[in-house]
Amino acid sequence: MIDFLPGVQSTTAALTAERIRMDVISQNIANANTTQGPDGQPYQRQEVVFESVLNQQIGDPSNVQPQPVQVARIQSDNRPPQMVYSPGHPNADKNGMVAMPNINIHEEMADMITSSRAFEANLAVLKNAQAMALQTLSIGRRA
Amino acid sequence: MSPLTSISPYLQPNGLIQFLPQTSQTKSTIPAAEIPTAPEIKPASPAGAASFSDALSNAVSEINSKQVAASNAVNGLLSGQDVSLHQAMIAMQEANVSFQLMVEVRNRLLESYQELMRMQV
Repeated sequence: MIDFLPGVQSTTAALTAERIRMDVISQNIANANTTQGPDGQPYQRQEVVFESVLNQQIGDPSNVQPQPVQVARIQSDNRPPQMVYSPGHPNADKNGMVAMPNINIHEEMADMITSSRAFEANLAVLKNAQAMALQTLSIGRRA
Repeated sequence: MSPLTSISPYLQPNGLIQFLPQTSQTKSTIPAAEIPTAPEIKPASPAGAASFSDALSNAVSEINSKQVAASNAVNGLLSGQDVSLHQAMIAMQEANVSFQLMVEVRNRLLESYQELMRMQV
C-alpha cells in the first residue's frame, strides 16, 4: 500500500484511543450520581490506561516501525465513595448516610479538556501531514 | 463508483507512452524497484514502453483502491459499523492526496507531449 500521509498510522491510533478516553470520561460524568450499580455498590470511577503497540520486528533493529498508541485497559479508581447524609434516600444505611460515587466533577472536566486538547494535537499532525503531501505534489508546477 | 478505471485506457495508448522515458528520468530519486528501466536517450523499445504502461496502470488501480477504501469507510460509518468518524475522514484524505498525485502525473505527461509537439523540425 502506498503511504502518502506521513505518520497517519500513529495518528489514527491516537485518535481512536482519545475517543475511548472521551467515552470513559462521559460515562464517569453521566454516573456521577449513580448510587447503585448492577453489583449493588455505588458507581466507581473508571480511567483508561494507554500503552504503545510493540510492532517492531523482533531481532531486526533496522526494521523500526512507528509505535501507535492503544488503550491497554480500563481500570476502576479505588478511592472510597463519598458519604453523604440523606436519610430519605432509598440507598441510605441505618445512620442515614448514602455512598455516592467517588467522582469529582471538576476532575472529570479537567480530564475532558486534556483529552480534547490531545485530540486536537493529533488532528494538527494530520493537517500538517496533508499540507506536506500537497506541497510536495506542487514541485515543479508552473506558477 | 470507480471513475479512475475509466481513465486508465487513455493512459495506455502507445502514442503517448513513447514520450515517457524523459519524464521517468526526472523521477530517478524514487527507488529503482518502482520504476521500469527506462532507456537513456534512444527511442523507447516496445518492451520498455509496455512495462511503463504496466507500472502506470498499477498505480492507477492502487489509487482506485484508495478511493474504494474511502467509500467503504464512509458506508461503514453511515451504516453503523465499527468505523469511527476520523477513520472515514482519514481514508477520504488519503484518497484525495493520491488522486492529486495522479492528476499531477497526468499533467506532467501532457506537458512533455505538448512540448514535443511544439518542437521545430
